[in-house]
Amino acid sequence: MDPAESVRMTVRSIRGHKLRSALTVVGVVIGIASVITFATFGASVETEIVGDIETTNAGNVYVFATASGDDDFDRVLQPVFTESDVNRLAATDGVRAALPRGIVRTQSIRHGNQTLARQQVTATRPASFTPSVLVEGRAFESGEDAVVVNEDMARSFDGNLSAGETVTLTTADGEERTLAVVGVVNGTRGELPVSDFARQPRVYVPIEPFYDAVVESPSAGVRQRAYPQVTLVADPRRIPETQSAVQAYLSEESDARSLSADDTDLVARSGSDFVEQISDVIERITRFVTGIAVIALVVGAIGIANVMLVSVTERTREIGIMKAVGARNRDVMQIFLVEAALLGAFGSLLGVPLGLVVGYAATRYAEVTFSLAPLWMGLAVAVGVLVGVLAGLYPAWRAARVDPIDALRHE
Amino acid sequence: MSETANATVVVDGVSKHYDLGGRVTALDDVSLTLSKGSYTAIMGPSGSGKSTLLNLVGGLDTPSAGRVVVDGRDLSSAGEDELAAVRGTDVGFVFQTFNLMPRLTAVENVALPLVFDGWDRDRRRERALSLLSDVGLGDRIDHLPTELSGGQRQRVAIARALSTEPALILADEPTGNVDTETGARILDVFDDLHAAGNTLLLVTHERHVAERAERVVHVEDGRVRSIEETPEGTD
Ligand SMILES: Nc1ncnc2c1ncn2[C@@H]1O[C@H](COP(=O)(O)OP(=O)(O)OP(=O)(O)O)[C@@H](O)[C@H]1O
Ligand SMILES: [Mg+2]
Repeated sequence: MDPAESVRMTVRSIRGHKLRSALTVVGVVIGIASVITFATFGASVETEIVGDIETTNAGNVYVFATASGDDDFDRVLQPVFTESDVNRLAATDGVRAALPRGIVRTQSIRHGNQTLARQQVTATRPASFTPSVLVEGRAFESGEDAVVVNEDMARSFDGNLSAGETVTLTTADGEERTLAVVGVVNGTRGELPVSDFARQPRVYVPIEPFYDAVVESPSAGVRQRAYPQVTLVADPRRIPETQSAVQAYLSEESDARSLSADDTDLVARSGSDFVEQISDVIERITRFVTGIAVIALVVGAIGIANVMLVSVTERTREIGIMKAVGARNRDVMQIFLVEAALLGAFGSLLGVPLGLVVGYAATRYAEVTFSLAPLWMGLAVAVGVLVGVLAGLYPAWRAARVDPIDALRHE
Repeated sequence: MSETANATVVVDGVSKHYDLGGRVTALDDVSLTLSKGSYTAIMGPSGSGKSTLLNLVGGLDTPSAGRVVVDGRDLSSAGEDELAAVRGTDVGFVFQTFNLMPRLTAVENVALPLVFDGWDRDRRRERALSLLSDVGLGDRIDHLPTELSGGQRQRVAIARALSTEPALILADEPTGNVDTETGARILDVFDDLHAAGNTLLLVTHERHVAERAERVVHVEDGRVRSIEETPEGTD
């Protein structure tokens, strides 16, 4: 039969039972809204994090050691990259600078009369602080009793720390050192994704005199400083080649190789590798949570099926009339399927805006920029309709099989 | 009489049983022929099988034994879709209880068989409107069945039965639920349909209604007891 006519008849029958129809689709509304909420939130978080990395660190290659087979989160392990390694890496084709980073254990940091607990600060070379990341002041010099902080750190103190002031750092062994704050860097630019991709307060100190992890270099035969991580500033147009040259050096000749356990991988990751990894993780989480939301949809489907069965019984006589004036089984089936599909679509149409509102609230709460997931929205509506149709199949089949004589006798 | 050759409906040795614990025989070896353009009434006591017979001829029900042939089509062996087509286009059914769709307006009810017959919307409406004005309801087109009187509802039902221009009109006590005056108007409509060449089969238990037909088939206990030619039919 004419599909437009079955839609018209269905709209009429749904309108005839407004409250019941609304209650029927509550399950679908909740299901679709949760899917949209989680999808939107996931997409927003992903866009935010990935955006950070992509815009700032495209030309960086990060060298570090990680446990084999641990492919989700790279954990920085032992300081195995010696000064010799750093020099060799710096000399690799396509590498513009090699910036080692070390961790210095501390207890706390004080400014004025405010003391904040702080377990570690990052030791690095002055070259890490390019003009593009400095919002205030300058980089420290090697050997200087000075720190550079990021904006998040600066904000951690009442009255905002700024260049020219001093802080007192208490080291792991309890020694207090008063240091000049010479610069403030932007919290989202030029960071290390390995440890910094979540925005957190950071304090940077010069390697000399703060960092003193040493090891005997197998290649040089002398004791040298060693670092758990090295950031390579690479020629952005030659990242893949540089990455493989670095990788080859790491796995064949480096001190780090002989200094690390066999089950440790030495890796050279580019910014885009991180982007992929992070997207992957977020996507998996989103999919998992969305899976849970699908359960709500199943509940919604059961609701629709239930009401449709009641509706078939209630309308047995109408079915009989339609059959008596020439409706074929498939026409009756069509009418009930359209009704179920419309209920599903109606549920999704209510669920999508609801999900967007809740998703928006969640991004506000998590302080990430809201971004839409249009594909998910389209998918959600399609799923809603599909849920309706699936839920309506059995009731529609029952309706189609109604015997016209019995139905006309039905009161 | 070469009745069979000119027949619109042939009921041949038809029985209908219901098995509900015991066996109920609604029709027992009934044979009946309706020639094209004839007007036949069925009379008989309650429970004698009149409605059952009408339903079989209208393709609403299938016989337990025997054959029902309408317009050359054997309904006893027809599939579901074929029966639906017979109900939709070959036969127009008028029920005692009207059987209108409660949520559809008068014009939509009349157009309903055309929906299933695949007519487009504009043509459906046009046809339904002209039928409604033929039965004197041109000013009630957008009324729901609950907003119409019994007699008006039955006229909507008649208009609906006529919508696909079926050659065969079946009516099961069409005047049973309307007052005498309305009943008379409905019978006038049937007379007009008869005059226009339609074949009519009408169930009634009122003598004066039956006498409007050309002949009366008397049914008792599921059997045809006698067939009576009325004075009307002999002219
Ligand atoms: N679905 C059914 N199941 C069991 N018995 C049935 C069924 N339909 C009809 N019958 C029986 O068949 C017989 C004939 O019924 P039918 O409706 O044809 O009678 P009728 O002549 O139309 O009576 P009335 O004048 O009261 O309408 C009755 O005895 C009835 O009980
Ligand atoms: Mg009856």
